[in-house]
Amino acid sequence: MTTPAIPEGVKRCGSRQFLLWLGVAALVVLWGVYAMYRIWFYGLNQTNMNNAYGFALWIWADLAVIALGGGAFFSGFLAYIIGLKNVKNIINFAVILGVVCYTSALLILGLDVGQPLRGWFIFWHANVHSMLTEVAFCLSVYLGVLIIEFIPVLLENPKIQKVRFFHHLSHNMHEIMAVFAATGVFLSFFHQGSLGGVPGVLYGRPFAFREGLFVWPWTFFLFTWSAAAVGPLFTASMCRLTEAITRKKLVKDDVYHLLAKISGWMLLTYIIAKSIDTIYWATVTAPSMGFALMDFYSNNPLYNIWILVAEIAVCGFLPALILITRKGRENKKLLFGAAILAIIGLLINRWVMVLQVMAAPLMPFQEEWFMYSPAWTEVATSILPIAYGIILISLAYRYLPLFPQEKELNPGN
Amino acid sequence: MEKIPSHTKKRHFGMVIDLDKCTGCASCMVACYSENNISFRDEESVKMLSTNWIQVFKLTNGKPFPDTEVCYLPKPCMQCDGKHFGHSPCVSVCPAVATDFDYPTGIVSQIYTRCFGCRYCMAACPYHARKFNWWDPVWPADMEKYLSPDVSPRMRGVVEKCTFCYHRFQRARQQAYNEGRPEDIREDEYQTACTQACPSNAITFGDLDNPDHAVYKLKNSRYAFRLLERLNTNPSVYYLSTREWVHRAADNYLEHEQPAFSEEQQA
Amino acid sequence: MKIDRRCFLSLAGGLVAGHLLSPVPWKVTDDLSIWTQNWPWTPVPETGPVAWKETVCTMCPGGCGIKVRMIKDRVIKIEGSEDYPINRGSLCPLGYSSIQYLYGPSRVTSPMKRTGERGSGKFEPVSWDEAISEVSGKLDALRKNGQSHTVACISGSDKGTVPLLFKRFLEAYGSPNFIRTPSGQDAHETAAYLAQGHSDKNVGFDLENATFILSFGCGLLDGGGAPGYQFSTYSRFDRRHTLVQVEPRLSNTAAKAKKWLAAKPGTEGALALGLARVIIENGLYNRNFIENHSFGFEDWTDDNGAIHMGFKRMVSEYTPSRVAGITGLEARQIESLARDFARAQKPVAVCGYNECRAVADIDKTLAVHALNALVGNINQSGGMIVFPDPEYTVSPVEKDRIASTGLTKPRADMAGTDKYPQSRYLLNLLPDILMSAKESDLPVQALLVTGANPVYTLEDSTTAQAAFAKIPFIVSFSSFMDETAQYADIILPDHHFLEGYRDVPPPEGVGKPITGLSKPVVSPRYDTRNTGDTIIDIARKMGGSISNSFPWDGYEAFLKEALKDQYRDLSRNGYVENVEKPAALDVAFATDSGKYEFYPTRRHTTGNGDEAKLPGFKETDVPGKETSGGVILIAYKSPRIASGAVANPPFMTKTIDADMLKKEKLFIQINPETAGKLNLKQGDEAVIETSAGKASVKVDLYDGIMPGLAAMPAGLGHTAYSRYIAGKGVNVNALLQPVADPTYGINKAWGIRAQLKKA
Ligand SMILES: Nc1nc2c(c(=O)[nH]1)N[C@H]1C(S)=C(S)[C@@H](COP(=O)(O)OP(=O)(O)OC[C@H]3O[C@@H](n4cnc5c(=O)[nH]c(N)nc54)[C@H](O)[C@@H]3O)O[C@H]1N2
Ligand SMILES: Nc1nc2c(c(=O)[nH]1)N[C@H]1C(S)=C(S)[C@@H](COP(=O)(O)OP(=O)(O)OC[C@H]3O[C@@H](n4cnc5c(=O)[nH]c(N)nc54)[C@H](O)[C@@H]3O)O[C@H]1N2
Ligand code: SF4
Ligand code: SF4
Ligand code: SF4
Ligand code: SF4
Ligand code: SF4
Ligand SMILES: [Mo]
Repeated sequence: MTTPAIPEGVKRCGSRQFLLWLGVAALVVLWGVYAMYRIWFYGLNQTNMNNAYGFALWIWADLAVIALGGGAFFSGFLAYIIGLKNVKNIINFAVILGVVCYTSALLILGLDVGQPLRGWFIFWHANVHSMLTEVAFCLSVYLGVLIIEFIPVLLENPKIQKVRFFHHLSHNMHEIMAVFAATGVFLSFFHQGSLGGVPGVLYGRPFAFREGLFVWPWTFFLFTWSAAAVGPLFTASMCRLTEAITRKKLVKDDVYHLLAKISGWMLLTYIIAKSIDTIYWATVTAPSMGFALMDFYSNNPLYNIWILVAEIAVCGFLPALILITRKGRENKKLLFGAAILAIIGLLINRWVMVLQVMAAPLMPFQEEWFMYSPAWTEVATSILPIAYGIILISLAYRYLPLFPQEKELNPGN
Repeated sequence: MEKIPSHTKKRHFGMVIDLDKCTGCASCMVACYSENNISFRDEESVKMLSTNWIQVFKLTNGKPFPDTEVCYLPKPCMQCDGKHFGHSPCVSVCPAVATDFDYPTGIVSQIYTRCFGCRYCMAACPYHARKFNWWDPVWPADMEKYLSPDVSPRMRGVVEKCTFCYHRFQRARQQAYNEGRPEDIREDEYQTACTQACPSNAITFGDLDNPDHAVYKLKNSRYAFRLLERLNTNPSVYYLSTREWVHRAADNYLEHEQPAFSEEQQA
Repeated sequence: MKIDRRCFLSLAGGLVAGHLLSPVPWKVTDDLSIWTQNWPWTPVPETGPVAWKETVCTMCPGGCGIKVRMIKDRVIKIEGSEDYPINRGSLCPLGYSSIQYLYGPSRVTSPMKRTGERGSGKFEPVSWDEAISEVSGKLDALRKNGQSHTVACISGSDKGTVPLLFKRFLEAYGSPNFIRTPSGQDAHETAAYLAQGHSDKNVGFDLENATFILSFGCGLLDGGGAPGYQFSTYSRFDRRHTLVQVEPRLSNTAAKAKKWLAAKPGTEGALALGLARVIIENGLYNRNFIENHSFGFEDWTDDNGAIHMGFKRMVSEYTPSRVAGITGLEARQIESLARDFARAQKPVAVCGYNECRAVADIDKTLAVHALNALVGNINQSGGMIVFPDPEYTVSPVEKDRIASTGLTKPRADMAGTDKYPQSRYLLNLLPDILMSAKESDLPVQALLVTGANPVYTLEDSTTAQAAFAKIPFIVSFSSFMDETAQYADIILPDHHFLEGYRDVPPPEGVGKPITGLSKPVVSPRYDTRNTGDTIIDIARKMGGSISNSFPWDGYEAFLKEALKDQYRDLSRNGYVENVEKPAALDVAFATDSGKYEFYPTRRHTTGNGDEAKLPGFKETDVPGKETSGGVILIAYKSPRIASGAVANPPFMTKTIDADMLKKEKLFIQINPETAGKLNLKQGDEAVIETSAGKASVKVDLYDGIMPGLAAMPAGLGHTAYSRYIAGKGVNVNALLQPVADPTYGINKAWGIRAQLKKA
């Protein structure tokens, strides 16, 4: 008798339909791969970046996926360190999302640097003062941790379980997972922070620059905090999306409610801190360098003052307030609406901390804002991770027992 | 092979550019291209893709005809000393130590073979002094023949910038060493290509800390200022202007603030 | 052994682990990065011992001394020569860029014969023998047909030994048609002839010793005139020096001037006269000069007893308030400027470096010369200096009958004919003459072009192109594939100046007569020849009296003979300076009166009476129809754009600001007020149209330009050379239309009416 590849007791779509689904995503991946080829063989002139926009769409995408991938570390933190059992029902999914996000981040970094073959100089000739060095170290080690966290999930596949060695391995790994999760949390805490440090230390860029604590600018803490707040909301939303696509209930609502509650409070505290930071920056830090708040906002739609209002009020306080109320959380529409707003808020935050930093003119005799719109190659490679994520998650969902509650929630199968 | 002398004497090289003199002719830019093997392309009008280690800007006082005034402002790398000496905005962020602050000269170096092109330094530099090699450099026909062996041409994918013609310092230091006066590099022995090229003598170059050098006195002139000084980047490039609006145009001020220099106060 | 799945997997796992632990991946990673550091397509310049060689730059007529940094036979860098008396270390950006013309894709690498359409740039290489035979054959045939006078030579200069060889060739051959390109020299030469009686002299300004320079629109710091000389003069300015710039646009020169006076364009003559009046009225003029060395200052009586108006009476009409009305300046400004100028220690008034494209206005030039005369600075330190052309001593030409007949024929450009008896060269008229002639009796059947690019540089270049296209046979001697070379049937390429000998005659406008010698610093890179050698070869090939007139082995032999005793000093020092002081005032003037003539008695005029002869202000009409909402287009010079001599090299194009050129689009400067009327905004796409042509441009709003004007930089819009030069912007000449001065024929249009509309 052949072992089925699909986990026992769950139902999956037919292989034809599955292949078609994968095929569509694969086309998008191919488009991205073609763009990668152009960039690696012809160089970064294939993008629309320029000397004013040394950092652009990709670095934003990097910061964004890492922040969203933060769901993995924070769920891990909740599950293994705080010991919230309920979170374990979604942790496998969070880990896979994390793997997708972090591998994508590294891939984009590999594209973004001018000399990818020398990328390892960041380790070899490491400058310990550079936030980017800190990011690179933590990021790669954390990706290792994530993969280690992912392996036992992978080994759960019935076919793999048949191999005795893997069976034992997976069992033993489960035992020690808490140690890795803890390491991961620590690493992640640091690199999320370092990513915040990347713009925050730029004292030549008053839009980005923040004072701080010891060597860390406030953005260091704000980035970690925001990733911790919004990451789980992203995990939850993606999970909900998977439910919608598969038309199956995969986790119980109380898992969502728990995550939403925690995130809500995290978000609220974060956005209060962020507001204080913004006020201090706008009234003390920036003016000391000769800038009034409105010097940083132009009347072009990308870098308008509304972007600040959107980030803090619409995508900050509003979702936070929804999520901390029971009524808000327990209304599915409100819950996921708030989650999406919070995610958008996070994306805006990373956007301004990368692109607006580059756009604002500094020398008074250069009044023009620097403008940029990404080239197709940048778009294609930034969309690639989404398609790649869809493929990986689909495969994982099909072949791995991701959701412990699935059988119970879908008894008819 | 001659021995490369080690040096102990601390110097702090810098420039003073007299904006009242600069005519905007761009000889400095061209001399720098030639001295430093800067590549060119058939399309150079998109300035943010163009590689210039020194760029001359045109500033206007914003008044209508015929009260308009123009000032030209050449901008090389400021060789920032940074918040604390050596903590230059760009140097402190480079993850691979591909750009470094040279304490004995105060010059911010750039190592093309180590740079892996992450462009973090460009994000850090408020002066847009750094340029990325978006393309492979190409010298059409037989133009490679004019390249100087003193400065290596850069490969695609790395960042480059003005080095205060550091190779000229090395040459002068070698010369001094060979002549048995290793610590004694005369003011005229080390001058940058743009300084030398300026047909209007608008640029003065030397050791900012050496009272015998012309820059020492000039930088203390009441007409002296630096670009974006309020960012605390601590540039080693000073400017001179007797015009208040130029001082104002060189830094950011809130509405009620005034630059330190004012024409009235001088009069 | 049967390999089961488990075994396979552990094997694979082991292999991966083994590789990671082995040095292989690390070595590969390391090698890959080393490879990126030594990409074979990133050049590694060869090193070697360094040598410095001194020579003289000829990229423009400015004549700067340069030092060339060499490694083996490679030119690495050009720098200014500190002790060369013209530029004293200063160089313009074109000088630094000249290595990009020694090397690079613009060069004509061997003799070429045209294979494609005129202007298409399709040529095939031919041997020197073949090319020279073809030229001499064509010229011989014309000569045998009695058409020797239909051969013309257009040269960028008429000074120096290479132009001398061309003149000599035409003389021996039998053509009167040696034509120098229109230039700033024309007006000064004419004025010097009229007021001082000299026909073969240079007018220079001793700027380096002047303390007050009053410039009527000279691009002193805009790359005009002799840039190296002017920059070095300016670099030595201190508090005691004053520069006043009269110009309708805040140019680089105006930006650096102590005072910028935006007089209406074309009214500079009136301003000069207004200043003269204030100076005279207040007795601020130099009495010694006026009383002892001038003529026609006061009213005077001629041999027939008729009373003529003197300069003084004429300018009395130019009251400050009237001049203010004409120029748009304030009366107060005019009065104080006149006082400051006349009271300065060493004042000098200059004009007309821009004669060629802005008013070649004889009256204005005479008025400005008169200002100098009033303050008595003629032939004085810091003043206006007139000095003779260098003398060349060569044996007379041998002329046969055909040559003698040919030389008596009228010139193709009408210079020196009854219509324009006092003009020497009128290339600006030639296109129209050619256009209106029938193919059968085209006055130019063969054209030799040297050091000039008339297809690009003549105003109304579209007509010029069509006109030159009619000429059956064109020979270019250009080193570069310029626009005119693309029209040629044969190209006989000259060396780059770093590859060959040539003398550098005293630059126009410079206050001291310095002849330089440009020497080869590298061996010729391509199959090129010194044009001097080529012309001697052609003459030799033609045999008879023509060959006899060229007895030299080659150009160097000719150069040595022509320069005689100067040659030794030249080759030793790189330059010679005429040590003679400028002529003393009692022998300085070759006029009938032997004095400086404020009233130019020998002036040829169409009108009658004193008004026609005296340099009073006459409104010059601007070509084109006056329309509402129109602008007047003027050309301006930027020091970052080479606009004569050669096209802008890639290095200089790299320096051009983004508000001047964006991709292929050129920006036209207009005042915001003008823009408001025309409903245009910064960066708008627009179309400019004149009677000569039409171009699409972008709009740059500039407070520093007079409302109503629109300015375009000269020197862009090339179609030839290489892809690094061609296709950028618009050639302003294609929009301009020359207007001939009725008595001198030279172009006097300083601008043209144009329609500027949003695209
Ligand atoms: N590097 C380099 N230098 C050169 C040359 C070269 O090819 N390369 N060519 C040389 C030659 S041949 C010459 S003739 C000179 C030419 O040198 P210039 O005569 O100095 O140059 P132009 O471009 O003719 O000068 C145009 C200037 O006059 C102003 N202008 C335009 N119309 C008017 C007007 O009606 N009135 C007034 N007052 N000003 C006006 C414009 O704003 C502009 O600044 O340059 C010489 N110098
Ligand atoms: N756009 C524009 N047009 C102008 C002017 C301007 O400033 N801008 N200025 C006007 C003025 S002032 C003048 S004087 C005229 C000048 O007009 P031209 O005398 O026609 O001047 P250039 O453009 O200087 O042409 C010189 C040509 O000689 C060639 N050449 C360069 N070096 C050598 C060499 O060593 N040997 C030979 N045989 N050829 C060589 C180059 O290819 C170049 O095209 O143009 C007038 N027209
Ligand atoms: S100007 Fe820019 S590149 Fe130069 S030292 Fe300062 S921060 Fe660094
Ligand atoms: S681009 Fe190069 S020099 Fe700049 S920070 Fe990155 S590695 Fe350092
Ligand atoms: S100092 Fe040297 S490297 Fe820097 S701008 Fe000047 S010439 Fe270029
Ligand atoms: S060379 Fe001198 S005058 Fe010319 S732009 Fe540079 S600094 Fe200014
Ligand atoms: S001014 Fe003329 S001669 Fe002098 S360097 Fe420039 S191009 Fe050469
Ligand atoms: Mo000229």
